[in-house]
Amino acid sequence: MKTNENIVKYVLRLALTLFIIGAVVAACLAGVNSITAPAIEQLQYEKTQEAIQAVLPGGGDEIDFTDDSGLVSVVYKGEAGYAVQVAPGGFDGPITMMVGIDFEGKVLGISVIKHTETAGLGAVAAAKTSAGEAFRGWFVGQSGSVAVTKDGGSVEAITGATITSRAVCDGVNAALDCVAKMG
Amino acid sequence: MNFKKQFNEGLLTKNPVTVQLLGMCSTLAITTSLFNGIGMGLAVTIITICSNVLISALRKVIPSQVRIAAYITIIAGFVTVVDLCLQAFLPALAESLGVFIPLIVVNCMVLGRAEGFASKNGVLASAVDGLCQGIGYTVALVITCVIRELLGSGTFGGGLLNGGEGIRIIPAQFPAMQMVMPVGGFLVLGFVIAGSQALMKYLDKKKKEGVK
Repeated sequence: MKTNENIVKYVLRLALTLFIIGAVVAACLAGVNSITAPAIEQLQYEKTQEAIQAVLPGGGDEIDFTDDSGLVSVVYKGEAGYAVQVAPGGFDGPITMMVGIDFEGKVLGISVIKHTETAGLGAVAAAKTSAGEAFRGWFVGQSGSVAVTKDGGSVEAITGATITSRAVCDGVNAALDCVAKMG
Repeated sequence: MNFKKQFNEGLLTKNPVTVQLLGMCSTLAITTSLFNGIGMGLAVTIITICSNVLISALRKVIPSQVRIAAYITIIAGFVTVVDLCLQAFLPALAESLGVFIPLIVVNCMVLGRAEGFASKNGVLASAVDGLCQGIGYTVALVITCVIRELLGSGTFGGGLLNGGEGIRIIPAQFPAMQMVMPVGGFLVLGFVIAGSQALMKYLDKKKKEGVK
């Protein structure tokens, strides 16, 4: 009987210690999250607005849309055309980006809002460097559908990041399709 | 407690990267620009100090049978706090390091110091150990970054100097892109380890000659 009691006590101690550590850590994280969540959300909102302005001069308002690709999340319509928010699957999770398209179905520009691509490789697609700008520049003026040169298209893929480059093409294509359906 | 000895160990003789070969995943993956190296180094240093201090303070409370689970929970807590703070207040760095910030949870250097040092030593010594090991990690990372960035992109201080472009040293058509890809990581890391071994041998020899 005595040993049984000891075992129960011993197991309880192990479980309780882990439980208390877990509970305290969780409580701390909840506290930190309540401080940082509004700031992160605000930054995300600002970035989205910035991205709309970058690809669609004058900005736009949210409109209803139909989409078969499942990649389009929001469409904005402004005086210069549409800004379509798409999230194609990249090398490591979705790449959230804004694609500006004018009323003739030509790409005005693209801007990456959020991604988790590899630093120095896929991340170039979003970087504010000359390489990043050069890559995004390939899409400006394109219409119909786009592809990287490896797939017979005209977009020069980022060196060492073909998957990311293809994902960006997928996103632009989804946006082009979506806008084409709107007439 | 011997600060000088701990510092020397962290920086050279027991360097987490070049001697203990811990935290290789982050070392190989993110050392492509100076900004990444410094950012990752600082994040890991802060987390190691915090987790070392807390684990050292709790070392008599945590039963040894569940210590690893307890350590990982504590480390994961600190990593998430740093991750959230970076996303909220330093979005450029959070974006640049991406998934490698949450992955610090499984950086063996942090758990290694918890298990190998903090669980056996006092709070202050553990804090110093975290700082010294963190400095050693950061220095190794920064050296690897500088070499890879120079050979792979031809720049110095990428993400940090000259509006994020870095200062161009080698004209854009010459750098070998492979150096910022995984193969370059392994190559450069090998040479950095060799370099640190050579430096240790040299210092040892000098010390012996001094004794004579």
